[in-house]
Amino acid sequence: MKFLNLRYDFDWGIPFREPFLGWLVTGVKLTLLIAVVTAVLSLVIGTVLAIMRVSRFKILNIPAKIYVETVRNIPGLFWLLFFYFVFPQLLPSPLTDALNGYVYYSVIAGILGLTVDNSAYVSDIVRTGILGMPRGYMEVAVSTGLNRLQQLRYIILPGAFRTILPPLGTRMIHNFKNSSLCMAIAAPELTWATQQIESITFRGLEVTFLATVFYIGLSLAMAAIVIRLEKKWKINMTSITSMRT
Amino acid sequence: MEFFFEQLANWKYYLIGGYPEAPLTGLSLNIVLALLSISIGLFFAVILGLGRISCRRYIRYPCSACIDIVRSTPLLMIIFWFYFFLPVIGAKLHLFWSAVIALSVYAAAYQAEIVRAGVLAVPMGQMEASLSSGMSRFQAMAFIILPQAFKMMLPSFVSFFNSMFKSTSTVYIIGIVELTRTGIIISQLKPNRIFAAYACMALGFWIVCYSLSFAAQKLERKLGILDYESYKPEICRDDLILIPLPKAVKKYLTTQK
Repeated sequence: MKFLNLRYDFDWGIPFREPFLGWLVTGVKLTLLIAVVTAVLSLVIGTVLAIMRVSRFKILNIPAKIYVETVRNIPGLFWLLFFYFVFPQLLPSPLTDALNGYVYYSVIAGILGLTVDNSAYVSDIVRTGILGMPRGYMEVAVSTGLNRLQQLRYIILPGAFRTILPPLGTRMIHNFKNSSLCMAIAAPELTWATQQIESITFRGLEVTFLATVFYIGLSLAMAAIVIRLEKKWKINMTSITSMRT
Repeated sequence: MEFFFEQLANWKYYLIGGYPEAPLTGLSLNIVLALLSISIGLFFAVILGLGRISCRRYIRYPCSACIDIVRSTPLLMIIFWFYFFLPVIGAKLHLFWSAVIALSVYAAAYQAEIVRAGVLAVPMGQMEASLSSGMSRFQAMAFIILPQAFKMMLPSFVSFFNSMFKSTSTVYIIGIVELTRTGIIISQLKPNRIFAAYACMALGFWIVCYSLSFAAQKLERKLGILDYESYKPEICRDDLILIPLPKAVKKYLTTQK
């Protein structure tokens, strides 16, 4: 590599030497854990928020709107820092001490922060899906004689989730990538492990390269799964829209 | 509550730091970072986005691969790449500029998708008409298609600026003193006022982002694109994978059971 004039000699043994390999493996596990838990939690909270926002009652409607507008306009990093540094201070003092002493509080704070951030976006996507359902769908739901909650549960939500699957998948991939922000609060996930190895050995490029390959590979795999699911669950919308008359 | 107002009296630290004497910090640095990265990114985004829909494979495939790889890497990783890798190839850059480069690479990939969607949304007849009036393909693209496409892309650009502005908070990790770092420093100086410092930080982000998303909504309504009534997920979604897949994988993905 003469032409590039690299001031760096690569040592690909570094990521596979013992203390570092352990950190990387723990990092991968924690990254996956954070991504999966936040995805599930934010899907549940986001759906509830979306149902609240399309509700006719102002007492449900307004709090959900305030939550979404607040969270969407503040960066996700802020919520991580907030739950790590500020949230324990707001609790009564015995709880504060307990949380500050707990080793894995950073992981919990990361999960809380990412969930708060992601659920607002998910609720917006789900709301779009519910409002975007064809009129005929709604009319069928009303004429079946189910009550409003049952209409949502059995008729509207299943249809809505099918149409919003691609944006929802994009959001979940984004959430997986955002899990790397947890290194700001020292949760020992993959990015944190690479930075730790960099600061100890001054050889960050090898591990950073491996971590990047991991993130890219998993993101692309998730995208492939979403495409596959979309094809599998596709319903023929034209037959429904033709009911509009 | 009085702590909060006491912090608001320090508004200068949150907004510009000690600017005329000391380097620019605080909220205005976020805005500068976002504006710089978006305008540098836009230049490359037009090239990448048009390359992505080119009919020549040797242009289309590399462009798709670039967009896809950047889009599926976390922003933090891109920042670290430029922070660590630029000194290795011998480029001695100020911290600020390595952050700007990383952010503009990130912005370019996302904006390329917006450009591509905008160009594809212009009706085919426009291209045919301009070609048949004797323009070259380049002229048709530059003078007929792109101006119309940019008008359609405007709301997406404003909402992307919103998300880019929020993303600039990430560069605090490599040590740039923008609003997040300012808030952290102030909260560390006065540990008993930590909530007030964080509230001011959030307020700063919220005001800028809320006015931007308000503007995006107004623009969307004015231009009449993408309101909920005409929402069609098939048209306005972005593609999940752009890299050309091998035929076997594509067949696996598209067969229905």
